[in-house]
Amino acid sequence: MKRIRSGPQRVQFEISQDEKNLLAHLLRLYPLVPANHQRLSQGRQIPDREENQQLLEDSLNAQRQENRKHVEAMLNEQGRFVECPAGSRVSFSRSEIEWLLQVCNDVRVGSWLALGSPAQHPEILPGVDPQTAQHIVIMEVAAFFEMQLLSAASSGRQSGHA
Amino acid sequence: MPIAAPTEVRPDLEQDAQTDSSADLESGYLVVCWDDPVNLMQYVTHVFQTVFGWERKKAEKHMLEVHEQGRSVLKRESLEKAEFYVHQLQKYTLQATMERDSK
Repeated sequence: MKRIRSGPQRVQFEISQDEKNLLAHLLRLYPLVPANHQRLSQGRQIPDREENQQLLEDSLNAQRQENRKHVEAMLNEQGRFVECPAGSRVSFSRSEIEWLLQVCNDVRVGSWLALGSPAQHPEILPGVDPQTAQHIVIMEVAAFFEMQLLSAASSGRQSGHA
Repeated sequence: MPIAAPTEVRPDLEQDAQTDSSADLESGYLVVCWDDPVNLMQYVTHVFQTVFGWERKKAEKHMLEVHEQGRSVLKRESLEKAEFYVHQLQKYTLQATMERDSK
């Protein structure tokens, strides 16, 4: 996957067939982070702590549903991926890049949680078996797409695009 | 916080005068981001830029603080604004919390 054009509104990528399949697989895994994973605070000094925690979880659930709709719409959209000699060309708006980043990172963090939130880099975990290996591969694939999207987002900022 | 290979981050360790502006110090709740070994450094920088509208230098400074010190206080705000920022950071799956400022 490589960026071939950055405009004020959209960024265009060229993506191989294998990368396209991987991206679709990754997006379909979303969401992986449990809804109650995030905490509003670590202490008890926040007013109406339980109520506010519930509001946080409701807000995150609503956002996940919204992102899930975006994913489904993108994967089912006719003409989103246009075939070319190298595979396909696909363009994303800058707002699409933001939710794609959220989705990819959710899958990366969810896979890390499934590994037991290891403190060290998962690639050097002892006792890797086929199941844990799958989570590690998903983490690395998510990181690959995140870096492409971050590069595109950064190019927009450097050229003055919001 | 892992470092991805194709890094474009060029840390700038100069003190950012805006970080501790009087406006940041007015209110009583701290927005804190915590280190973890999973979120990419470039990703964290991007999220700080997006959520707070910070320039890259300031976002990188706080990202490095998270990475090296385990946490960074990103904002001092009212309860409502602090909640809002924590929600925004958590939408990007960063480990962010709020706490009462004891100062």
